[in-house]
Amino acid sequence: MHVQKLTALLVTASLLGAGFAQGTWDGGDELPTNPLPCGTEAAPAPEPLPYDGGTAEGAPDLAGQPISLIDVPKLVGIGYFDATSTGIAQAAEELGNVTARTDGPTEANIDDQIAVIENYISSGEVSGILFAANDPVAISPVLKRALAGGVHVVGYDANSQPDAREWFVNQAEFNGIAKAMIDSLAAEKGEDAQFGIVTSTFTTPNQARWIAEMQAYAASCFPEMGWLETLEAQEDAVLSFNQANTLINKYGDDLDGIFGMTSVATPSSADAVTQAGLCGEVAVIGLATPNDMKPYVETDCVKSVVLWNPVDLGYAAVHVLRAVVDGTLEPGATTVSAGRLGDLQVVNGSEVLLGAPFIFTSENINDFDF
Amino acid sequence: MSSDAQIRAPSPIQRLRTVLFSQEGILFLILVVVVAVLAGRSDAFFTPRNLLNQGRLMSEVGLVALPMTFIIITGGIDLSVGSILGLCAVLLGVLWGGLGLPLGLVLVLVLLVGVLAGLFNALLIVRVGVPPLIMTLATLALYRGLAQGISEARSVTGYPEWFFRFGQGNVAGLPTQLGLFIVMAILAAVVLRSTTLGRTLYAIGNNPVGARFSGLPVGRNLALIYAFSGLMAALAAIIFVSRVTTTRSDMGSGLELDAIAAVVLGGTSIFGGKGSILGTVIGLVLIQLLKNGLALMGVTSDATIIVIGTMLILAILVNNFIQNRRAGI
Repeated sequence: MHVQKLTALLVTASLLGAGFAQGTWDGGDELPTNPLPCGTEAAPAPEPLPYDGGTAEGAPDLAGQPISLIDVPKLVGIGYFDATSTGIAQAAEELGNVTARTDGPTEANIDDQIAVIENYISSGEVSGILFAANDPVAISPVLKRALAGGVHVVGYDANSQPDAREWFVNQAEFNGIAKAMIDSLAAEKGEDAQFGIVTSTFTTPNQARWIAEMQAYAASCFPEMGWLETLEAQEDAVLSFNQANTLINKYGDDLDGIFGMTSVATPSSADAVTQAGLCGEVAVIGLATPNDMKPYVETDCVKSVVLWNPVDLGYAAVHVLRAVVDGTLEPGATTVSAGRLGDLQVVNGSEVLLGAPFIFTSENINDFDF
Repeated sequence: MSSDAQIRAPSPIQRLRTVLFSQEGILFLILVVVVAVLAGRSDAFFTPRNLLNQGRLMSEVGLVALPMTFIIITGGIDLSVGSILGLCAVLLGVLWGGLGLPLGLVLVLVLLVGVLAGLFNALLIVRVGVPPLIMTLATLALYRGLAQGISEARSVTGYPEWFFRFGQGNVAGLPTQLGLFIVMAILAAVVLRSTTLGRTLYAIGNNPVGARFSGLPVGRNLALIYAFSGLMAALAAIIFVSRVTTTRSDMGSGLELDAIAAVVLGGTSIFGGKGSILGTVIGLVLIQLLKNGLALMGVTSDATIIVIGTMLILAILVNNFIQNRRAGI
């Protein structure tokens, strides 16, 4: 009796689920989406927006001259920002006429970061500042003071207000991440894969944006692909593990893949799949940092981890700042040349797009330590 | 000269020696040496612009360090000041941006909340006898939790231009908050040195039971200084928000430690009964200028905190050594 009821309930639930799949996936937002073209087709150049960055007033003309940069990340001493510093050092060495140094707060604290930048402005010894903001608004007054004093300012990883810096190197746009996630699932489990999502909450801005873009991209490129359910797990490891288990138990053989939308949900989902002995049956794809995912990538339970390459991010930031000083990147430009990364696209008025997201696989994941 | 004459009128040299070998005197000498060394190592250090800028950055910790001196003199401590700052900053944003109250009224309300937060600390410390360390450790978590809950991880920005005067403006050539801090420091010094309240604080720190049996209003005075501590944290919150133009629930985290470091470096005994506002101000300036000067010399932030930790220990050791020699121990 009970079993029958339960089955009936489950059938109704999955029917309802299928019905909803026509509507909006849970956890996505209502903002307009902009899906990228399918496959390897290049995206059409976006409509250029007017430049909305600031200007370094009265900056000395140092085109081709040696310059000294200071890199102020959110905090020092963690793997992620060690990786961006590595990229910054690589670019400086390659260019030959740039000396770059990393100095930042020892905790991700807005006041300490502001004090560090104040000191470098006072010292008068730097002609450029690279930053990753702990808070987009709080950092802006001090950056504006730098610009007013003729110091060039370029952001990466975490933006300030646009008029408080000249350019911002954007590591990944929402539609780029969405495409990389869906393409990875299609490659691993086929174009008709059925999947569930473990996210933070339905209203978390970044996650909601990614999910909406994933839906738009899947609808246009893989219409056969089936969304089962989105579950909330805050950014909590235990809750994420439990929610991944819920998906596994609820959908059984129908479940082909789980998307982890946070750097906590992805390793926890991989853990749940490993413990259920379903490696290979259920693919886990998601946003996560390499160190958390190495154990699962090594056992081949997880094949693709989506993020960006922080070494390239730092590398690009130095090239952008050098281009500003040399006058080769001016308001209105559509691309900027960034050494080994080739030409990078200008988007959103005053942002430089790093490119497609980086996918960590068993081939390359051990090259990273963050 | 007979010993009687010495007691009545110490010679100028003896008087100078007393001043020089006082806690504050020694600390001041250390400060002068540090400034001289730093000025020699970086041209950008000893300029009016840099020094005024450091004054701006130091004022929030300074404002909180004044009541902290009072509290530590009574043998207490207030660990909740950073969280009160965070709570007041968040309330400022929510009351103005969320509820749409006029900003002038909001500033008054925020100061009031600071006072209430301090009074709540005092209530359990005085009435229930909870040790200050434990009580304010609890409210450190409580007030920060409230700040996070109320803010819902959202920031409030877009304040009117006049509000930025507190944190970014100048009055008579000084950064506004530095002027405010100097006025408050003078007031605090006068209260501590020359009023009954000030003397009572020392008495409480030296012997709380004795103070109580002497008929001193111990509870009332403690309530007063913890409320003062909350008020200064709220004032620091207004200045901080004005300076960085946004509110965040993590504002002021770790502020309590910076304030306590300035107070104890300034020679105030953590066991109570001894200390001065002048010492706290010198301690505050010493730490701020060390941080700044080392950064200008090209020392990175992580190395700077090591140097400052070492300096703190050395300054306290030197001071203890000289004080002990004076006392003939």
